[in-house]
Amino acid sequence: MSFLIRQISRTSDGREIIRAYPHDVREIIIGREASCEIHLADLAVELRHARLTLQANGKLDVVALAGNGFEVDGSKTSQAVIDPAGGSELRFGSHLLVISVDDGVVVITAERIEVLSDSTQEKDEIGLFTLRSIMPSRRLMAWALSIIILLALLVWPIHTFYNYQNAEKRPAAFHADSLWSSGSLSSPHAGLGMDCQSCHTEAFVAVSDSSCVSCHEDVHDHADPKRLKLAKAPLNWDGKISRKIAETFSRPEGRCVECHTEHEGAGPMEDTKQQFCSSCHTDMNKRLTDTKIANAGDFGTAHPQFKPEVITANGSPPKRERISLDQKPLEDSGLKFPHDVHLSRTNGVARMGQQFGFGQALDCKDCHIKTPDGVQFQAIDMEQSCAMCHSLGIEKIGDTVRTLRHGDPKMVVADLRAFYRAGGPYRVRTRQVMEGRKRPGSYARSQPYYAYFGSVNYSRADSAIRSVFSKGGACYDCHTVITPPAGSDNWQVQKVHQTSRFMMKGWFDHAAHDTETCSSCHAAKKSGNASELLLPGIKTCRTCHGGEASNADVPSSCAMCHSFHADDGAPWVPKFDMTRKRDLSKARVENIKVRT
Amino acid sequence: MAGRAAQSGRVRSDGTHEGFLRHENFRWLKIATMMSLLALVSYLLIDVQPRHNGGSWFGYTLGTIGVLIILWLSLIGIRKRKMSRGHWSLKAWTSAHVYLGLSLIVIATLHTGFQLGWNVHTLAYVLMMIVILSGVWGISVYATLPKVMSANRDQTTEAQMLASLRSIDRQLHDAAQPLDQNHAELVRSSLDQDPFGGGIIRRMANRYATCKTRQAHDEILVIMGSQPGGKDDPLEKVGSLLGRKRAILARTRKHLQLKAMLEIWLYLHVPLTFALIAALVAHIVSVFFYW
Repeated sequence: MSFLIRQISRTSDGREIIRAYPHDVREIIIGREASCEIHLADLAVELRHARLTLQANGKLDVVALAGNGFEVDGSKTSQAVIDPAGGSELRFGSHLLVISVDDGVVVITAERIEVLSDSTQEKDEIGLFTLRSIMPSRRLMAWALSIIILLALLVWPIHTFYNYQNAEKRPAAFHADSLWSSGSLSSPHAGLGMDCQSCHTEAFVAVSDSSCVSCHEDVHDHADPKRLKLAKAPLNWDGKISRKIAETFSRPEGRCVECHTEHEGAGPMEDTKQQFCSSCHTDMNKRLTDTKIANAGDFGTAHPQFKPEVITANGSPPKRERISLDQKPLEDSGLKFPHDVHLSRTNGVARMGQQFGFGQALDCKDCHIKTPDGVQFQAIDMEQSCAMCHSLGIEKIGDTVRTLRHGDPKMVVADLRAFYRAGGPYRVRTRQVMEGRKRPGSYARSQPYYAYFGSVNYSRADSAIRSVFSKGGACYDCHTVITPPAGSDNWQVQKVHQTSRFMMKGWFDHAAHDTETCSSCHAAKKSGNASELLLPGIKTCRTCHGGEASNADVPSSCAMCHSFHADDGAPWVPKFDMTRKRDLSKARVENIKVRT
Repeated sequence: MAGRAAQSGRVRSDGTHEGFLRHENFRWLKIATMMSLLALVSYLLIDVQPRHNGGSWFGYTLGTIGVLIILWLSLIGIRKRKMSRGHWSLKAWTSAHVYLGLSLIVIATLHTGFQLGWNVHTLAYVLMMIVILSGVWGISVYATLPKVMSANRDQTTEAQMLASLRSIDRQLHDAAQPLDQNHAELVRSSLDQDPFGGGIIRRMANRYATCKTRQAHDEILVIMGSQPGGKDDPLEKVGSLLGRKRAILARTRKHLQLKAMLEIWLYLHVPLTFALIAALVAHIVSVFFYW
């Protein structure tokens, strides 16, 4: 007997069954074929896989008979010589062959050490039929997600806040607390987007006005805070709830941010709504009984007539009063000027205008020149706008016309006296002065205009002086002259005050009304007297403008004309130059001061 | 589809079935609808300046209601582990869970004032919406898939599916013994492969492109086509066994796909609920921190 083959198999309950087959040969075949001495029912084993030959020296020669080799003590080979006495392990497919010697007989124990198929091995059936085997556990995911979110969106931003709390300025970079921003800042504040602490200076404390005024230094209160409080309409139910909640959560009343809300999205800051004004002003006289301000709730339906500030008495300084346009106020500017004559298309003025190249007739813009911003008009300048026709020339010396000095009556007197003192050829000179072209009717080509004197005794300076200041004279036509007592030369002309802004409580921007002609609002062509205010009334404005919620061509909230923080400038409207760079770091520095 | 789920409920004393959706004649549907309508009408009537947002008193009110509902809804995880009957039976609780959860779509959306952005606040909103939508998905699959599943199972149990697979594997192993090595390898590759391996995507899509059983079956069919053998040809037997294994696999895989679809919503619904609560904590703290 040379070989003893022991084949081990197992019952379903795991019990071992050992079958032993002795073979008295020197050569045995290992394979899947049933005729093999060592028959391995293993699909990874060839039908005739290997041959074992017992050599004379007692060693075993193992040779693979087909392409697939085998393993000897864990290493793959196709041929091996082994010493059975030393023991060895051969691996064929899923089977392990343990070789040993017992009483001179080579004992080969064959056993399947791997399962027959994937499905026959022990499996967690519940695991297979649920997602537990292929998904991370829900508990793990819940913990992981929660921790990630809390770290990234709570711990990190809070760390950022305390990290920079005493810093002058945050470096320009991403800062985690910006993940808390509920919406983009308005364009003027866009530069503060990554620096939450420029406004949110303290944790759990509402944004205070000190943050705002650190940059907006010039902003002042709308009115005396006490009167402001009195004027406020009683809160309705939701306002009361809102107030109560705000008080409970320590949000003080009347802060800038109540009206100037932020984080409402990029773009211009939110326009202040009409209701913000009308809640007090609609019936303010009920609560603020001594107020001089008329009630106003809506431009289209509840707004008083305009009250321009007009000069009621021309003095020094002039007396100005706000009078409703309904009372047809007259302005005592000190100037005599008939608009109708100057704008006529048929009279001598038109004729003179034509000769000077002004077209068919004079137009408003020929005298009224806009300010550079287009909002208002520059004051009329006599030399520039009037003197071309209303000449003060008295004498021509060579090519130069000598003129009386405008605005200086004493110099006029002195110049005229000097003129007469200069002497002859007296007749020629006075004729030139007194008989030159005076008015548009007496136009003569290529001759300059001269100041006119009316009726005059040409031989005497006194007479000429009196004439120029009296009716028919050059000064008198436009100005109010204060006549001196007889024998005195102290002629005086009342000062002219030109008003550049009549609507002192509101704001009117001519540039915004470019689409209109002057005459669509100002009835200058029918005005024969400079004291007539040519301002349009509210009715004219209402042809285009209505209240905020109206169907008018231009729905207009109060803020279009009125400024809450009123000053001499234009009211705040959301169209100021958003691109201009401001030194926003200043805000930080100021805030640090406030904090410490 | 809701109707199906509604039918599969407890048997009432009068003998009719009533599911959690239909519970007490849609009591919670009515309550949730009233709450949503109330929120919507208030939203339209209350004039918040300059526009609606979460930071107005109305916004805070909606937010407070919303967070209380969310916290209550998440308690179902604790509640479902404790049995009770009657008014606050699990069915009543589930009914309320579903309808109040749906009402959050209205309440929380109005709370946002439609101001969304890349921030913690919108994250909380988006997480909430995913949780709600995954819940809706869950109800709809619970209503439709069991029918499809039992049609697919055709009276077999999961244990039987696996047992028949094991049996067919053993038979394949035996039948393949006489085969020459090339053919034996085909069978072996079918036996060795885990037929249900792969991730969630493969399971949900039910696409097993590398299925060795299918490849082995196809190849053996081709071989048999070119060398037709007799009735006793072992290859013939192996071919038919592989065909049977293929059919068993198809049914089992379909079953796995349906079960995965039934289950997957919970893998969103539950972890994202916790993520949502974390995001809500960050959301609320941040609002008061930068007050």
